[in-house]
Amino acid sequence: MTSMLPRRALFVALSALGVWLALTVCSVEFGARAASAKTPEDAALQIEKRLLCPQCTNLRLDVCDTTICADMRTEIKDRLAKGESDEQIIAYFQGRYGQRVLAEVPAKGFNLVLFGWVGVAIALVVVIGTFVLVRLRRTATPELAAGVLRDADEQWLDEQLHERDAR
Amino acid sequence: MNVGATLGAASLLTALATALFAIGAAAVGGFTRRPQLTGAGRRAVIVAAFFITAASVTLGVGLLRNDFSMAYVASVSSREMETPMKWASFYSKQPGSLLYWTWAMSLLMALFAWRTIPSIQWGAAQATALCGACLTAFLIALVFFASPFHASDVIPADGVGLNPLLVDRGMLIHPPFLLGGLVSTALPFVLGMTALMAGRLDGAWLRSVRRWAIASWLILSIGNMLGGWWAYTVLGWGGYWGWDPVENSAILPLLPLTAFVHSMMLQERRGMLKLWNLTLVIAAFSLAVFGTFNVRSGLVDSVHSFAQSEIGAYFLGVLAVVLIGALVLMVWRVPYMRAEHDFESLLSRESTLIVNNYLFTAIALVILGGTLFPVFSELFVSSKITVGPPFYNSVVGPLLIILVALIAIGTVLPWRRASNATIARRFAVPGVITLVAGVVLFVLGLREPRALAGVLSAIALVVVTAREFALGARGAHAAGIPWLATISALFARDQRRYGGYLVHIGVAVMAVAVVGSTVYQEQTRVSLSPGESFQIAGRTITFMGLDQRDGTVNGVQTEVIAPLLVKHGQQTEAILEPGRRRFTNFPEQPTAIVALHTSLRDDLYVFVQGWDDTGRADFNVFVNPLIVWLWIGGGIYVVGGIFAWMPLVGTVPVRESVTTGGGAQPQQA
Repeated sequence: MTSMLPRRALFVALSALGVWLALTVCSVEFGARAASAKTPEDAALQIEKRLLCPQCTNLRLDVCDTTICADMRTEIKDRLAKGESDEQIIAYFQGRYGQRVLAEVPAKGFNLVLFGWVGVAIALVVVIGTFVLVRLRRTATPELAAGVLRDADEQWLDEQLHERDAR
Repeated sequence: MNVGATLGAASLLTALATALFAIGAAAVGGFTRRPQLTGAGRRAVIVAAFFITAASVTLGVGLLRNDFSMAYVASVSSREMETPMKWASFYSKQPGSLLYWTWAMSLLMALFAWRTIPSIQWGAAQATALCGACLTAFLIALVFFASPFHASDVIPADGVGLNPLLVDRGMLIHPPFLLGGLVSTALPFVLGMTALMAGRLDGAWLRSVRRWAIASWLILSIGNMLGGWWAYTVLGWGGYWGWDPVENSAILPLLPLTAFVHSMMLQERRGMLKLWNLTLVIAAFSLAVFGTFNVRSGLVDSVHSFAQSEIGAYFLGVLAVVLIGALVLMVWRVPYMRAEHDFESLLSRESTLIVNNYLFTAIALVILGGTLFPVFSELFVSSKITVGPPFYNSVVGPLLIILVALIAIGTVLPWRRASNATIARRFAVPGVITLVAGVVLFVLGLREPRALAGVLSAIALVVVTAREFALGARGAHAAGIPWLATISALFARDQRRYGGYLVHIGVAVMAVAVVGSTVYQEQTRVSLSPGESFQIAGRTITFMGLDQRDGTVNGVQTEVIAPLLVKHGQQTEAILEPGRRRFTNFPEQPTAIVALHTSLRDDLYVFVQGWDDTGRADFNVFVNPLIVWLWIGGGIYVVGGIFAWMPLVGTVPVRESVTTGGGAQPQQA
């Protein structure tokens, strides 16, 4: 038991080192990223990201190169300069091209079918899943003595599998 | 007479006849119990592959020789195209893509008929007939709906050339892997249906399906990863996954297949989930056929889809036959599918594998719903409503985070059941490390809840997987293996298990990259005259002026380059060359030249959105944190997948006393 302790300490230390290394790589100045002031170009970009190209599929307005998208980007800047809000500008394009230019599907009207589908799909999986788990467990064997099933169990099962493969 | 077109068409027709013979011979051989006849059918599957290969070689030779008397060659290739890119021309349009699909399927089925069918005498006739049926279904489409072997009405002096979006080296490998992955789902399907038809729903079919299923899962995974890489480096929108309907169609079969490579372990070890495992292989193949229908029917709009054609309706019919046939067989065989053992505890690896499967199912249902929603909205409210990335990110994102967390929990839990003390002992160290990491990340500024949850799940997964390696290495060392050789000894002992763990590490690394590159992506758009600069992410970027150069090959007419000098402090970090490319035969379809500067920390990603006569250019600039880790994680995933797929090579003894702590042998269940 005593010889286990230094090993465990070594494992914890090495794990901590791994986490630290991971954090070093991950520490991409998370906080600093959101601090910059909003320029007119950034304001336009925020709106463009919420719109899709009316001609392409699933391509955001800010990255699409079609003429229609270039015109829409100019229109956004003009409307921002006139003092219109983000929502007003988005509503204008929705009125002109329909819902297909909205990057985010609004949760209203017929679209509720989509959100309903998500809810039903997840609920079905949860309900059926729970039923199957409970049913599979119905005739469970009594709990085994504490600590008797550990890595040996897995090893034993692996060996069984190997033997079966070999046959 | 056009020799190439005639030879190709004749080869396909002969292959169709041979595939039909395979069905007939196997069916009669099975019913009359004449193995020679079944054997003839099996050999016919191999011969059909030979004829489909002959047709494919004919098309390849036509492309290499610029044989524009073949209409397909004239529509996808041109004289000045580089030879390697003619490989991309092969599958760049619907007929060639379908030929490639059928060719890949025929080669896999020939290998299956040669190696696997002789080892499953209990279902040789059924498997042979099913192989013949799959080949027949696709050969009918090729021969009657989309043949690449039509002769040109008028032989043009030169061909049209490759679609500009496909003029990229990535196209030489991405479609072959993706299409190969999709067709390979047919083999687990054939084996599952064979088991159903033969009534052998014990472990027999699983022993044969394991390596085919893992191979299919691996090839399809690589195809999807390469698709993301191609989208990132070529399409020029700053991301790698746009939830486009065709992208969704490519990832949908991967979800049940991934669930299957996990849940088959439950049937192997515990005789459980027989019905579920069959459902998964049938779902994977059905979704692959659905993707084929989706891409070719014009049902949904996509940058990747082929022109609308009547072939879509045909594949819808094929899909209906597959689903109805499978359903009837499953209902017929339900009495054979009772579990051999009971599920013992909710706190076991079995339970997490089952819940894991449910999550894959939920994700697949959500993606399928989002993909088909535009069709239903057009049908019911006459408006094709696009389901964009925000929907998928908000619904699928949390499910994926839960999935990663569950993989971590499942790795810690033992099979069958364990005492609370054992479970507490196993969770202690990984739990503490994850908790500490959470606090440190929070202090560092990672406050967005979903990002924090995603990164912590990934860290937990890496920690528990590392623990598994450490425990295994300790056991191997106790058995007399030097420390440095312990990891290779573990893989030698059980590639599948430790290969799977490597895949999980790859998933964790990819999860961190996805969080970094989506939640913390920076974007700006600047308009610069030559000599002007802007700053982003600690870098100063200076526009050096427009440069135009003539195109050389592959239909490129001109390239306009807008070089940027990137400095970090006083040090030059890179010179980027974003630009735009114009094509001679596709003047209305210029493409972006994406410029990338990659580091372990982030990617600087730039493309040009336009310029004016004064030389002022508009740039779209992204800083994508950690994105290189997506490709590194993908590499780890693939290496792990290869280990998991490789045949088992034997065992290295691990001293029981070390790993068991004196535990008792479990009773054979």
